Amino acid sequence: MALSPFASRSPSMTVASPNSALRLKAAASHHVPGQAAAAKPESKPERELTEQLNDDVRRKYIKGALEATAPQGTIEFSLRLTDRIGKKLGEGTYAIVYLGHFRDDPSSCVAIKKIKVNAEYKDGLTMDAIREVKYLQELSHRNVIALHDVFSSKDQNLNLVLEFLPGGDLEMLIKDGDIHYGVGDVKAWMGMLARGVWFCHENFVLHRDIKPNNLLIAADGEVKLADFGLARSFADPYLNMTHQVITRWYRPPELLFGAKQYSGAVDVWSMGMVFAELLLRVPLLAGMSDLDQISKICEAFGTPTEENWPGVTQLANYVADKAVPVQGRDFFLRQFPTAGPVGADLLMSMCVLDPRKRATALQVLQHKWWTTEPRPTKNEDLPRKSGTKKMGDDLARRGGETDDGPFKNAARQLDFGAMK
Amino acid sequence: MIEDDIYRTSSQFRLWSYTQSSLKSLRTTTNHIASERVRAALRRARERHLSATPSATGTPQPGSDAEDRDIECLTPEEELVLVRYYCEKTVELGDTYRPPLPTNVRATAIQYLRRFYLTNSPMTYHPKSIMACALFVATKTDNYYMSLRQFAEGIPGDTTADDVIAPEFLLMQGLRFTFDVRHPFRGLEGGVMELSAIAQGQGKPAPHLPHHTPESLKQGILSLALPPVPCTSITDRIGRAHGATRELLKSAAQMTDAYFLYTPSQIWLSAFLLADKPLAEFYLDTKLGGPLEQTTTDSPSPLQNPLYELRTKLLNVLTDCGALLQSYTPLSSDPDQMKSLKRIAKKLYHCQNPEKVNLKRDSAVPRSTPAGDAGTATSESETERLAKKRKLEMEQKQRGTQDMFGPELVAGRTKH
Repeated sequence: MALSPFASRSPSMTVASPNSALRLKAAASHHVPGQAAAAKPESKPERELTEQLNDDVRRKYIKGALEATAPQGTIEFSLRLTDRIGKKLGEGTYAIVYLGHFRDDPSSCVAIKKIKVNAEYKDGLTMDAIREVKYLQELSHRNVIALHDVFSSKDQNLNLVLEFLPGGDLEMLIKDGDIHYGVGDVKAWMGMLARGVWFCHENFVLHRDIKPNNLLIAADGEVKLADFGLARSFADPYLNMTHQVITRWYRPPELLFGAKQYSGAVDVWSMGMVFAELLLRVPLLAGMSDLDQISKICEAFGTPTEENWPGVTQLANYVADKAVPVQGRDFFLRQFPTAGPVGADLLMSMCVLDPRKRATALQVLQHKWWTTEPRPTKNEDLPRKSGTKKMGDDLARRGGETDDGPFKNAARQLDFGAMK
Repeated sequence: MIEDDIYRTSSQFRLWSYTQSSLKSLRTTTNHIASERVRAALRRARERHLSATPSATGTPQPGSDAEDRDIECLTPEEELVLVRYYCEKTVELGDTYRPPLPTNVRATAIQYLRRFYLTNSPMTYHPKSIMACALFVATKTDNYYMSLRQFAEGIPGDTTADDVIAPEFLLMQGLRFTFDVRHPFRGLEGGVMELSAIAQGQGKPAPHLPHHTPESLKQGILSLALPPVPCTSITDRIGRAHGATRELLKSAAQMTDAYFLYTPSQIWLSAFLLADKPLAEFYLDTKLGGPLEQTTTDSPSPLQNPLYELRTKLLNVLTDCGALLQSYTPLSSDPDQMKSLKRIAKKLYHCQNPEKVNLKRDSAVPRSTPAGDAGTATSESETERLAKKRKLEMEQKQRGTQDMFGPELVAGRTKH
């Protein structure tokens, strides 16, 4: 099994060494524009060690304030544009996202996501924020959005320093009629998605909200799995989990039927839906309600029964109003001709009704489609979102208010949209 | 080995793994900084008190060295004893719920406390006020959903929901916003499942040990030296070892520095060795090959088993970790330790940082300076009020009527 490249991170022996905090404190004491805190003279004796450590992290970053001049069309140029409009990349009900950079390297951009205190929620930090921080702290992989650091700022705000991903998301590419892409491009994007999902599962983490607008694109074209607000680690055997997860159109039949024990197969189904949507350029199964979603699944792939899925009728919310026979290979070949026969096979393996027979993320990666012609497009040749045309629209739109309407996930959506 | 690489990217390794000496120096630094701040805070409180009462006869020099010396602060060792006591209390608090909180949740809360007090001192934040919060945060991070109100109602005594949640942000900052704790429990379950399969002749030999077969493994496990406690069958033996190991993991592994010094697999394997040495060694042999055969000692090649060096190294680590686990005795069952605990608690009463006592103010009032420096927000009248309160409590205590820790946290347990 090949090892994916890890960002190298230093072990605690050096990071947590008390001296580093004290040393860095002295180094950071000079006045720095854009960070009022650092400029404030310290009248008190030594700060608690825990506070010093936090300050060390906080001082590693600067919000906004880029002064480099750069030619039009480069990232630096668009960064300057963003600066002019106030350094906010987006704002939702859950967080505000700012552009920032490493203090010691102004060209290395980061997105600083400041979690708003939720006055409605009286039980402390919300589960969304806890899940996102908990899992991103542990997952370090090329196809998972990187969490560089977390620090607190005044008024007990939580700041997540995230990888800056200016390339929009897969949903934007799918919807943009001006963008043309082919099967090699789909293969490249799906490959990156599958590697990210495999890595999560290998670390015993279920993402539980895979959909095109949670698949963000880096400046170099790499796809990154983002928004871990619904993620959780695999439950121990016999322990229950909630079935109210995954945006409906991407939700697998076992969750719609109310299964409380499930596996990585739920994410694989979502991946299959993303795959189909990339090929068709519209969502494959756009149900209006949970029941409608079930009937759309039945119509498309066949009705789940005891024959094709032993035990399914025991699930709490099992319904079967029409008896559609399970679709065979012909259906997928007919429906998704652009994928080619091997690609259709892969899609079919991800859309198996019975989660126990559905492909695992590892099996997806081992499929022969990846090595079948055409080769996946290289990152630098992948289609990008169209340039400045939509920029105005996106700036007017408040980030986080995406097209999902009332889904609570929309508020959580980390939005780099204003960067277009 | 991919699993090792993955573990090295975990926050538990990156931020919370130490050597004996780095752990010790970190605690010393934390203690030193906190002591300085306690002295300064008490000095300020005195100054305010003096300026507020100009009628006081004489003008003692505020903050004179003589007064400073009066304040005796806790040592790092004393802080550690205190934290350990509240870790034990966390287990008891988890027991008061119906149903009791899962072992994982309690263990996570304990590790949160232990991590928090690596860079915070009990002199600054009393563990009593952090403990319930740590347990509540653990229910959130370990997927054991329960509302704050429901949680607070489960605590014996008059702890309110606000009391529980007040230090949440402070705690999370002390945890450096890492919530994942890798416990040794899952590894133990896996090992026990493997051994059970071997006992039934369904063992899976390691790919690098081709001479093992399911049958040879089964014969091996059945012909082991006798266990410490006699048992009726191999299933019984595995079950007993399983139970004994689990108990060690729930107690000694939580209350010592094991998590800071060793990996989850080292911890469960060393506990397993303490529970049933022959069985644990057999298990290791199915992975790493056996020790050198006696008959081969005359042959000059000591590397007959290519994993021999690794095996030796691992056994040394496991022995060290096992010794650490064995060193643990619960405070509450040891009169000597309880006596020393009472002394420490009494000492803490005099060196508690007065500016950090009211955590609820911390979270309610926006901070004037970043990163938890809310102490300055405490008004003078508040400081004075606290000073009076302390004086009053002091007098009560001198009459010997007040329990050192306030009302016993789990006193109501039997009633529930």
